[in-house]
Amino acid sequence: MVGMNKKHEETDKENTKDNEEELLKVKEDLENQLKRSVADYQNLEKRIAGEKSSWIRTANKDLILRLLPGIDNLFLAEKHTQDEGVKISIAHFIDILKGEGVEKIEAVGHDFDPVLMEAVGTAAGEEGKVLEETKAGYKLFDEVLRPAQVIVGKREN
Amino acid sequence: MGKIIGIDLGTTNSCVAVMEGGSPKVIHSAEGRNVIPSVVDPVTHVVGDVAKRQIVLKPKETIFSIKRLMGKKFSDESVQNDMKWLPYTIKSGRDGMAVVEVEGKQYTPQEVSAMILQKIKNDAESYLGSKVTQAVITVPAYFDDSQRQATKQAGEIAGLEVMRIINEPTAAALAYGLDKKNAHTIAVYDLGGGTFDISILELGEGVYEVKSTNGDTHLGGDDFDQIILNYIADQFQKENGVDLRKDPQALQRLRESAEKAKIELSSAQEAQINQPFITQGPNGPLHLTMTLGRPQLEQIVDELVQKTIKPVEQALKDAKVTVKEIDEVVLVGGMTRMPKVIDVVTKFFGKEPNKSVNPDEVVAVGAAIQGGVLGGEVKDVLLLDVTPLTLGIETLGGVSTPLIEKNTTIPASKSQVFSTAADNQTQVEINVLQGERPMAADNKSLGRFVLDGIPPAPRGVPQVEVEFDIDANGILNVKATDKATGKAQSIKITGSTGLTKEEVEKMTKEAEAHAAEDQEKKAKIEARNQADSLIFTAEKSLKDAGDKVPAELKTEIEGKISDLKGILDSGSKEDIEVKTKELSESLQKVGANMYQQQGPQDQQAGEQPAQEANPNADGQAKEEPVEGEVVE
Repeated sequence: MVGMNKKHEETDKENTKDNEEELLKVKEDLENQLKRSVADYQNLEKRIAGEKSSWIRTANKDLILRLLPGIDNLFLAEKHTQDEGVKISIAHFIDILKGEGVEKIEAVGHDFDPVLMEAVGTAAGEEGKVLEETKAGYKLFDEVLRPAQVIVGKREN
Repeated sequence: MGKIIGIDLGTTNSCVAVMEGGSPKVIHSAEGRNVIPSVVDPVTHVVGDVAKRQIVLKPKETIFSIKRLMGKKFSDESVQNDMKWLPYTIKSGRDGMAVVEVEGKQYTPQEVSAMILQKIKNDAESYLGSKVTQAVITVPAYFDDSQRQATKQAGEIAGLEVMRIINEPTAAALAYGLDKKNAHTIAVYDLGGGTFDISILELGEGVYEVKSTNGDTHLGGDDFDQIILNYIADQFQKENGVDLRKDPQALQRLRESAEKAKIELSSAQEAQINQPFITQGPNGPLHLTMTLGRPQLEQIVDELVQKTIKPVEQALKDAKVTVKEIDEVVLVGGMTRMPKVIDVVTKFFGKEPNKSVNPDEVVAVGAAIQGGVLGGEVKDVLLLDVTPLTLGIETLGGVSTPLIEKNTTIPASKSQVFSTAADNQTQVEINVLQGERPMAADNKSLGRFVLDGIPPAPRGVPQVEVEFDIDANGILNVKATDKATGKAQSIKITGSTGLTKEEVEKMTKEAEAHAAEDQEKKAKIEARNQADSLIFTAEKSLKDAGDKVPAELKTEIEGKISDLKGILDSGSKEDIEVKTKELSESLQKVGANMYQQQGPQDQQAGEQPAQEANPNADGQAKEEPVEGEVVE
């Protein structure tokens, strides 16, 4: 009998210990969860504060990107017609864009730079130099909006 | 406690996502895009968009489609085939494995892939603002052990501990939570930039098992672009006798036009192709102008779309399942945005496919979820409910004033200060409302109670704070407190979120249907409330100013007050507004008049708006009880 009682006591003790462990685990889990949520939230807030200023600056980005093909066509018209009126229109357009922080990437005569330009072809000429620009590229507040499409020089071998 | 990122290391493009606040978020590249082209210049370590821009210039030094070589022997038939069209040099390296050679140096596919992963890791770190050391990477379901091992090594070279390699279709299924939905047999249709894969998965013990895969390693968006390009060029040639494909510059613009038209026609019925001065004809410049309709496009690409069906049939056959046994279909890859593709898939399976997650991102999203599960984040994450409908109270004129807007994540609480609508009003009734309609009568009343014992005061002076508190179980506590006496009354509502889906839908629909007339009704009541408060202000001003107001002006104002009162309930919104404006103008004369008499320092009364502002209250206690201030 005594032995049995003792056994009972032990099981009870074990049970309590098990329960305690379980509770501790639950508590730990919950704490972990809470910390994670709060951390995620705080990080989000920090990031939003940082992103907000860039959002404001680049809110026009999509619209400007969609306008660029229109300007591309004006450039082509100018190239083919050599019309003074078109030239003035382009200058005006570029001026407006400048006011919005858009800047044309200068390519012709410069070294090819894949960060700012996309090579669409090669031609005989000075190795690595941009010979021709087939489509103008633009930056918006120093961020590449659209790379310039260029033809790059290659030494004939 | 670093985050485990999920990476879709693709043949054409790669994508990365991470769990944040319990939901997956795609991380944009440093170039601001949601995907990174899987293109590498191994000599200069340039990766992604920037590497892609120099392909024409350095065709032998710029590596793309490296995934096709991962874990493969040089002698492998597919490698031998790919060598025919890949512009860079492929050689047999150690143990006969395929390697690429650039400027005399050999690079294993693992090393090249590692450079892509390295960029992904860097971009993720700069987004998260912390170190990233662990990742889940996806591979096609048909990848063998050697290919999986190579992918894992690539991760390790990039400094990432690869927690798990999972199958791309499995990741897509995870992204849609199909395992939670207990979808037993699913089909994942993946039409990407350069490859087509179909996989049949079966759920067993909570994990998806791949039953069969099939596909076409050289069928994808690029083929669609090419076939559209050819169509446009053929049309142009028919009309102008010039083949645009022979002029490299024209070809470049044509390629862009074809891709743009393809994308536009996924949402629009018609796409305009406008490329002036595309080339020089015998009689001067030629312009490409064309309208491409969706039916036309669908005709052009029909053959390509149909080409995907055979592998699908084969995969079903191999998995020994019938079309009817497929519980869910998942679409992956940018090409599955095309309505024609969706149509064909829907028709074949006889059910709507899952397509709500961006198909370019869905695999990375699934990988991130797997990462979240491994990191203990997903399992632990609390699933928080939202309030399906707006909760608010009724205010002057039967208007429903929202306190907690619909779709607010709960638990949430909000309080707002209201005031009385009449002089010496000693009690307010709080009618708790649920619904989207602007008028209280059209919304559901969840309960009401009265707060009394408010000390008699002019209208607008007492401050009654109404607090809404909704706990995680959707139990709403509404408490009204008179700030002067501290007397409070409250109600507990248990059924605030207990609406069936149908009820919520019905109420939302009703709100939409009645939006215009409701707005009109509300505007009228607002005009009436404004008029009412102006009358109150005018009467008070006249009383306060006493005989300082010339008799003539007093009569004028009194006349206008009675005019306005006369139409307050019967007049139209416009009439009330006109009369309100008239009264307001006359009232301004009182102030002007008094300034003239007493000098500008004295500002006892007659200012516009003449309010009994309560200076030490954070709530402005305007005369309109509708506009309490939020005090939080």
